[in-house]
Amino acid sequence: MSDGAHFLFLIALLPFVGALVPGVMIRAGRTACASFTAVPTALALILLMTFAPAVLRGEVIQAEIEWLPQLGLSASFFLDGLGFLFATMILGVGLLITLYARFYLSGDDPMGQFYTYLLLFQGAMLGIVISDNILLLLIFWELTSLSSFLLIGYWKHLPEGRQGARMALAVTGSGGLAMIGGMLILGNIVGSYNLTDILAAGDLIRASDWYLPALILILLGAFTKSAQFPFHFWLPHAMAAPTPVSAYLHSATMVKAGVFLMARMWPALAGTDAWFYIVGTTGLITMVLGALIALFKDDLKALLAFSTVSHLGLLTMLLGFGTEAAAVAAVFHIINHLTFKAALFMTAGIVDHEAHTRDIKRLGGLRHLMPVTFVIGTIAALSMAGIPFFNGFLSKEMMLEEASHTKWLDSYYVVPVLATLGALLSVAYSFRFIAHVFLGPVRDDYPHKPHDPPFGMWAAPALLTVLVLLIGILPAVAEPIVTAAASAVTGADLHPHLKIWHGVTPALYMSILAILGGAVLLAIHAPLDRAWIKAPRPEAKTIFDGLVAALAAFARTITEGVHNGAISRYLAIFTVASVGLGAVAFAGGGLSERTRELLPIPPVIAVGWLMLIVATVSVVLMHRARFRALVLIGIIGLSISAGFAYLSAPDLALTQISVETVTIMLLLLALHFLPKETPRESPMGLKLRDGLIAIAAGGGVGGLVYAFLLRDIDTISDYHIANSYEGGGGTNVVNVILVDFRGYDTYGEIIVLGIAGLIIYALMQALLEGPAARRLRNVDYSQDRSRDRHPLMMVVVTRLLMPIAIMVGIYIFLRGHNQPGGGFVAGLVIAIALLMQYMASGFAWTQARQRIEYHAMIGFGVVIAGLTGAGAWVFGLPFLTSGYTYVHLPPIEEFELATAMLFDLGVFLTVLGAVMLMLYSLSRIARYAGSADVNVEAMDYDPSERQSDAEEAR
Amino acid sequence: MSWVLSLPLLIPFGAAVLAFLLKDRPSGAWVSVLGSGAMLIASIVLMVNVLAEGVIAGQMGGWPAPFGITLVSDLLSAVMVVITAITALAVSIYALADVRPRIAGLGYHALFQVLIAGVAGAFLTGDLFNLYVWFEVMLIASFGLLVMGGSREQIDGGVKYVALNLISTILFLTGIGILYGMTGTLNMADLAVTVPEVENQAMVTVVAMMFMVAFGVKAAVFPLFFWLPAAYHTPAFSTSAVFAGLLTKVGVYALIRMFTLVFVGDISFTHEVLLWVACFTMVTGVLGAAAQNDFRKILSFHIVSQIGYMILGLALMTPLAILGAVFYLVHHIIVKANLFLVAGVASRIAGDTALKKIGGLYAFAPLLAVLFLIPAFSLAGFPPLSGFWAKFLLVRAALEDGHGFVAFVALAVGALTIFSMTKIWAEAFWTPHPEGKEPRLSQLDAATRWSLLLPIAGLAVLTCIVGLFPEPFVQFAERAAGQLLEPTEYIETVLGARP
Repeated sequence: MSDGAHFLFLIALLPFVGALVPGVMIRAGRTACASFTAVPTALALILLMTFAPAVLRGEVIQAEIEWLPQLGLSASFFLDGLGFLFATMILGVGLLITLYARFYLSGDDPMGQFYTYLLLFQGAMLGIVISDNILLLLIFWELTSLSSFLLIGYWKHLPEGRQGARMALAVTGSGGLAMIGGMLILGNIVGSYNLTDILAAGDLIRASDWYLPALILILLGAFTKSAQFPFHFWLPHAMAAPTPVSAYLHSATMVKAGVFLMARMWPALAGTDAWFYIVGTTGLITMVLGALIALFKDDLKALLAFSTVSHLGLLTMLLGFGTEAAAVAAVFHIINHLTFKAALFMTAGIVDHEAHTRDIKRLGGLRHLMPVTFVIGTIAALSMAGIPFFNGFLSKEMMLEEASHTKWLDSYYVVPVLATLGALLSVAYSFRFIAHVFLGPVRDDYPHKPHDPPFGMWAAPALLTVLVLLIGILPAVAEPIVTAAASAVTGADLHPHLKIWHGVTPALYMSILAILGGAVLLAIHAPLDRAWIKAPRPEAKTIFDGLVAALAAFARTITEGVHNGAISRYLAIFTVASVGLGAVAFAGGGLSERTRELLPIPPVIAVGWLMLIVATVSVVLMHRARFRALVLIGIIGLSISAGFAYLSAPDLALTQISVETVTIMLLLLALHFLPKETPRESPMGLKLRDGLIAIAAGGGVGGLVYAFLLRDIDTISDYHIANSYEGGGGTNVVNVILVDFRGYDTYGEIIVLGIAGLIIYALMQALLEGPAARRLRNVDYSQDRSRDRHPLMMVVVTRLLMPIAIMVGIYIFLRGHNQPGGGFVAGLVIAIALLMQYMASGFAWTQARQRIEYHAMIGFGVVIAGLTGAGAWVFGLPFLTSGYTYVHLPPIEEFELATAMLFDLGVFLTVLGAVMLMLYSLSRIARYAGSADVNVEAMDYDPSERQSDAEEAR
Repeated sequence: MSWVLSLPLLIPFGAAVLAFLLKDRPSGAWVSVLGSGAMLIASIVLMVNVLAEGVIAGQMGGWPAPFGITLVSDLLSAVMVVITAITALAVSIYALADVRPRIAGLGYHALFQVLIAGVAGAFLTGDLFNLYVWFEVMLIASFGLLVMGGSREQIDGGVKYVALNLISTILFLTGIGILYGMTGTLNMADLAVTVPEVENQAMVTVVAMMFMVAFGVKAAVFPLFFWLPAAYHTPAFSTSAVFAGLLTKVGVYALIRMFTLVFVGDISFTHEVLLWVACFTMVTGVLGAAAQNDFRKILSFHIVSQIGYMILGLALMTPLAILGAVFYLVHHIIVKANLFLVAGVASRIAGDTALKKIGGLYAFAPLLAVLFLIPAFSLAGFPPLSGFWAKFLLVRAALEDGHGFVAFVALAVGALTIFSMTKIWAEAFWTPHPEGKEPRLSQLDAATRWSLLLPIAGLAVLTCIVGLFPEPFVQFAERAAGQLLEPTEYIETVLGARP
């Protein structure tokens, strides 16, 4: 790192830091805002100039700090001739644009934002040209896309601005992504992301198999950014931006980023046939096409935009030639194009600003009204046309010279002819710019009476035209910088001599031809223009919009195709996916020998099994009749419980039975408020399909289970059985697993249950506040309903059963640790007892006798279980570690007290609370739906009244 | 170590109970905020411990693994818990102003905390069945949050959500049962040891597929993502934010865990399937987004698309790819939750989420515009925001692994993401409001403004930090990926740990 190299960081940072300035300064007024915006740019430029002597001597300044070393990314910068040239352009034109924009933007435009975006862009652009790490370069590259997006859409009220911004971002952003791919490949080939290393490894890169993919991807990035055919279409639409943006981004800097990249990568990528044909040809096509379209554009900015496209094509073509002389020409033309094109854009902006139109057909004769602007515009346009003594002439001659001896495939004519044609068209539209805007008679129908703008507005373009003339007449002044930059591009030590007169060369003839031809074209422009307007031609914008629309339509088809809202389709896809993947996974793999024999099947069990199957099939067949289906589901549940009991799992059987009972009861209550039948079915074909899918899925799972049941394995359950009493203090291993070994699971599950209760409550609450409540009230249940809500027998029996059921519940709870039972079952049993009270004696009656709120019961359950678990921490043990002891109180036998029991109490309370809350919620609907003519209180029903009712009815 | 591992889970549970008791008062919402804050502290303590000591494990109930339930945290788990806590804190602050008292009165904040607890539980458990339990906790809590309010749309979305997720949990449970039937254990570390010893490897692969589908539904991958866009655009914004941030990521986490730890026997098949799933998920998600015209729906489909990237990382299974997946996971949670929060504010001041009905946010709420721009462009993968690194890592991993096509898909999807993000930007922010409204943040009273914007700003700052100083995060992800690909430490810590 040479002395002062760290100033490079400062240069790179200044614009970003400076981006904060306008936001603060805008309150101090517009001039102050613009002045302070200029400060960071000017500072950076001054710092840059301190490097000028060294760089022009051919030294390279480098500075590096680590950023993300794992990925090969470092914040490293280097400044060589090429970087210096671009950095000077970016900062220099940046200053001029700042000045120009101060006068260009109107009072309504938020100027602070504008300058902020401008500086962000400037920083990003500067970053691109001085990055010494391709990843860093990529970052800045994408940042320019982003900041230009904001700048193009700056006039957000204009739809064209918004569309143009999105289009520009879509095209350049995508190109940037492609470039990421290309750069990554490049990094892989070289083994480093340092630009210096990559540039030194050109031979390695060109020899690699991955050269072509990398080249194409990187060029995609460059071509999209530099608006090369067929990606050129975004640039004209980006012209919806304010003119300072167009002048800065879309002529001087951003669009040159692609050219810069190609120049930068020149030593690494250029020199192959692929490079020549892809880059050279693209450039050639773009140059001619851009110039042709420019000739027929009536919008001044559109004309300049396509002219820019054309000149970018020219630059691309020169780089594509891959010769050193072409590189020199390219570098020189970059400078020249910058000077005249930025001046022209600003001129166009001035015209627009003063005459309130940019339509060439509505202009003309401005030389009398705006003499200063006329002079500036004419000088710049003549340079663009390539007239001698203007700088554009010099580099165009060099370009034609190169083109004249370039062979394309086997033809010696293609390139020179097309290059001359491009130059000719360029002359034509340049002349048109002068003739149709400034010459001709003064008109009286301008939208606004034009006159020259204030000095501040024409100062910037004027300065640029001075450069145009200076370089045009004394080309030697540009020699040092061109030398340095061209040497940097090619990696060779070049000493070009820039001069006006090269003798009588082919290029001179081509130039003369171009100028004459251009003049002729201008003369016959009017009929040509009419023909052009009539001629059918592909509009890139239409194609792009069509593509976007097609994409959206395609997306919609796909999305709506699989996402049609029908849950049955989702389930079908889910099941097919599972079965299909499982089948593919299994295909080919065999099974080992089975190690277990099937047990004999006793007849009773076979009958039970059959019942289970029949019931299951019946549910599927009869599911439309909801009540019947419910009964069948009950049968299935009971059969399964019986199965558990038979297979020596009494705990499971007990649990299953009580769960089954509670579920069915709750479902019965819910069924009351549902239609009696399910909605219409799908057609037969669909049913058949779904049936097949279901059978495949069921068969698959069944097969898997069958397969593993026939094979012995060691399981952790042996340990559970062995340690249940010793470690857990209980002989019922199932309960010990639930409250101890895997108490953590149980803890989660009771929360699930509790929440389920709360949700049903919440949902019901919401429903009853909504339109559903009204519908409920209007349902007519009178037809098939008993007039007695509380049958006497049932009331009596349930009340008698209540204490017994509670006793049983407590018993089951207490014995749980050692015998089948436990908090879960106990909770369900007591819930059933309470449920029956509700059913028999009515909601109001039971509720009046209910002391503890169910919400609280759930809460207490969870808290007790949680605190029991956390209590273990007090003893320095892990969460949920249990302890137990044996207690002997005189009147009764010795018994065990285990903390697990407390945990089980939590389970008990939660289960009870949750079930009761669900019931409570359902009952609330019932109250809404209830008619007033039935007895509310239990046992206050007089059968004789029913008699009289019946008689009345008769 | 037990309390370090269980606190991030028990704190939200405690907060849930407390919030429930106070549900009818404003303090209930504050309990949720405090709980999330406390959880953040607990999770940072956990992180510090894991960073210092490597993988840590705790045996619940003091039973040695694999007989009891093990809680275990490696770097991935720890970072997921931290990010969960961060999201919870942000969203609970946001919820102060976002959730109406009527909804809060139904226990919104309690359910929210339960959801967070379930998410944390899933990240910390080392036991397959226990994972199922946390899935259930999440499912029930998220269902509750989804249908709270009880509009027709919400219930429709909620029913689809719960039906598909229930089916997937049933498949998960079936898978657990069969796996237990083949190995006799439920502990993940133990499974990592025993699964390779199973004689019938074909059956193991079948079970692996069952898990893939079950977790795939949770993660919302192609072709199982239907429930997500159907449900995510209906509930309160704070709900969709926490869903978008966390829920699918639990599925991704479970996939990463199982397919780096347990199901690694037939990588050429399983991870090939994952690779295709990843590609299709990326593409269908972003196409879905392209077809939408609603703020939240676009964001919902983007989730799907982004999940594809994470799966891609897992599918490639190289150190760099897993690193990328971990990085992506963390980045995505921050960004995605934040975008939904922004959508909430936008809808609040501009009146809707349908892009056609809103506008003018850039002109009248520039602060919100900036706060949208950061996560939006981060999601789209613009440097130097976090999303750029995430995508970059994965694309690079794909290229280094010779998967040029996959890298191409990833990049192309990135381009389409940019495009649909700019749609939101252009239509909601740039375009003037169709009814000429002036959506200003000053419409909201100060307290509301603070509670809505503070979390958004906080998350945006986080995005920028990850973007500008990616090194420590990448380094961290590298270590985490190392632990995943070389699970010896994990297994030894779990199985070797005795109380």
